[in-house]
Amino acid sequence: MKNLLFLLSGIRWQDIVDIILNSYILFRCYVILRGTNAFRVLIGIVLLWFCQRIALYAGLIVTSWAIQAITAVAAIIIIVVFRNEISNVLQAKTLKTLLWDVTHKTVDTPVEVLLETVYELSRTHTGALIVLPARDSLEEVVHAGIPWNGQMSKEMLLSIFWPDNPVHDGAVILQGSRVREVGAILPLSRNKDLPSCYGTRHRAGLGLTEHTDAMVIIVSEERGNVTVARKGHFVEIQRMEELADALHSHLGGAEGMARHPRRAKRELGIAALVSFLLVVGIWFTFSRGQESLVTLEVPVQYLNRSPGMEILSTSADKVRLNLTGADALIRNIRPEQVAVRINLANGQIGSNSFAITQDDIRLSPGIVIERVEPATITVVLDAMVQKEIPVQVDWVGTLPANLIMLSATVTPATVTVYGGSLMVKTIATVYTEPLTLDDIRESGSLTANLALTPPSLRLAADSRGHVKITYVVKRKTPQAAP
Amino acid sequence: MFASHYLPTPPAAAGPPKGAILLLALLVALGSLRPAAAANEADVPRRPAALLRAVMCEDIQNFAPVNPAVVFPITIGKIFCFNIFDPVVQKTFIYHDWYCRDKLSKRVKLDLQTPRWSTYSSIQLREEDKGPWHVIITDPDGNIFHILRFSITD
Repeated sequence: MKNLLFLLSGIRWQDIVDIILNSYILFRCYVILRGTNAFRVLIGIVLLWFCQRIALYAGLIVTSWAIQAITAVAAIIIIVVFRNEISNVLQAKTLKTLLWDVTHKTVDTPVEVLLETVYELSRTHTGALIVLPARDSLEEVVHAGIPWNGQMSKEMLLSIFWPDNPVHDGAVILQGSRVREVGAILPLSRNKDLPSCYGTRHRAGLGLTEHTDAMVIIVSEERGNVTVARKGHFVEIQRMEELADALHSHLGGAEGMARHPRRAKRELGIAALVSFLLVVGIWFTFSRGQESLVTLEVPVQYLNRSPGMEILSTSADKVRLNLTGADALIRNIRPEQVAVRINLANGQIGSNSFAITQDDIRLSPGIVIERVEPATITVVLDAMVQKEIPVQVDWVGTLPANLIMLSATVTPATVTVYGGSLMVKTIATVYTEPLTLDDIRESGSLTANLALTPPSLRLAADSRGHVKITYVVKRKTPQAAP
Repeated sequence: MFASHYLPTPPAAAGPPKGAILLLALLVALGSLRPAAAANEADVPRRPAALLRAVMCEDIQNFAPVNPAVVFPITIGKIFCFNIFDPVVQKTFIYHDWYCRDKLSKRVKLDLQTPRWSTYSSIQLREEDKGPWHVIITDPDGNIFHILRFSITD
């Protein structure tokens, strides 16, 4: 109980939104894909993933690795193998259907018209083969169909199956309230145990249901019997009510829901609950799972420095963060994903201490800071000022022993530098880069660059980075003996 | 390492040579001009003393600087900052602040006597003293008479 309270205490509103959103996405995936082969394979992949996690938790490294590989391959296979099925499902849906509708199908077939037609065909012993597709695509199993695209009616169907009609031996493929194709050739069943009373028409009808989730209504020409083939099985229809039930069951839709509202709602409710529990489980696995600890050394970023101020020094450029969180999150964390940002907006000239708080540290959700070292950072801020400073030559080397340098005039004698006031205050002289005396034999002039230290010191716009040095040398006067 | 001295100028009553009188006249004339740098950097009127000459040199002999220069080899072992103040209105003192790369190495207090006075301070050179130096000559109130810049080299 205590653990549960601990788990629930850290839940943020973002986590609740996260769970609800993903639960709904999962639920919608179920609603859209239910009944398809792709969905069944998807369930298999999810189960494989669970097995992989269990194997990993149990320390079965090879098993975990093997299942992971199979899952990855299966995910690719499902897209390749069931691309047509997935495509059909998605193409048949509108945006509203994808996001909201929970009915099994969107287009309703006029069942009454179909019942009356089948009854009439049966009564007149007119052979017929009527295909009602479900979710699976028929393109790869049905051949030679002639496009029709006519509004379905009793008279039209009767005329199609009229014995003198050239296409009466083929199957009619319905789509909603329209006749999509006529004269279609269906794949024959390979079932060798079929009773001899079933002819080619029945074998064709059964064959299609062995490959797809379509339902086929077969009317025997010899006996006038009505048979329904579905999922590779025959159902003999004795009364039209049975056919009506079979049609409603297959077609589903608003009508189907209306006939079995409680069952449909229960099914959707269970799906929604399972989706929710699944996402909650996944969320807890990732964000509140086995706790791990990691220590990261993260660079500190200093933001919102006032214009005209500069950072003179900081007590630390990096901080060590001790982080805890779910093992999955900790293992995936990278130092570049973590940032420590100190807000200098309220900084004053001089030394400023900033305590590093949770708000200063950018972390992935689910990661908790255990410790920060150092907990406080001292930042010395300085205002930018200008100062005119004399330039002095930095002579090095050796002047010939018989020479003496009387003077060295620097032009310009001063330069204006720009930098932090605290820094500039300590600087009394700007030196040139070292100039060697070794080659000097007579008076002359040189040009030398200025050596600005520290590097943050800059020359003002009106000062150049080099000076001219005019020097005067003469022969040394011999000293008198003491 | 450091030393300071004062050199009272030879008294006029001792009968100075003709050349010395001419030199004094020249110094008085130059006194109105002053070193250009000194005039630019710090010249406060109505001081108890006025700086007439300030040089860095290798030695001081006969109250005069020897080999004044701006570059000194470390091998000479010792350097001097030599000043002549003329006039000195009242007894006072000055400071010589010796800086190596802007870091104060030594502060030397030197007395000045009326009516004119020569004085100097010196440092003993060590290996680590190589680099650019400057000596700031100030009055008791911190007003700068002059800044002498020089280098200690190999």
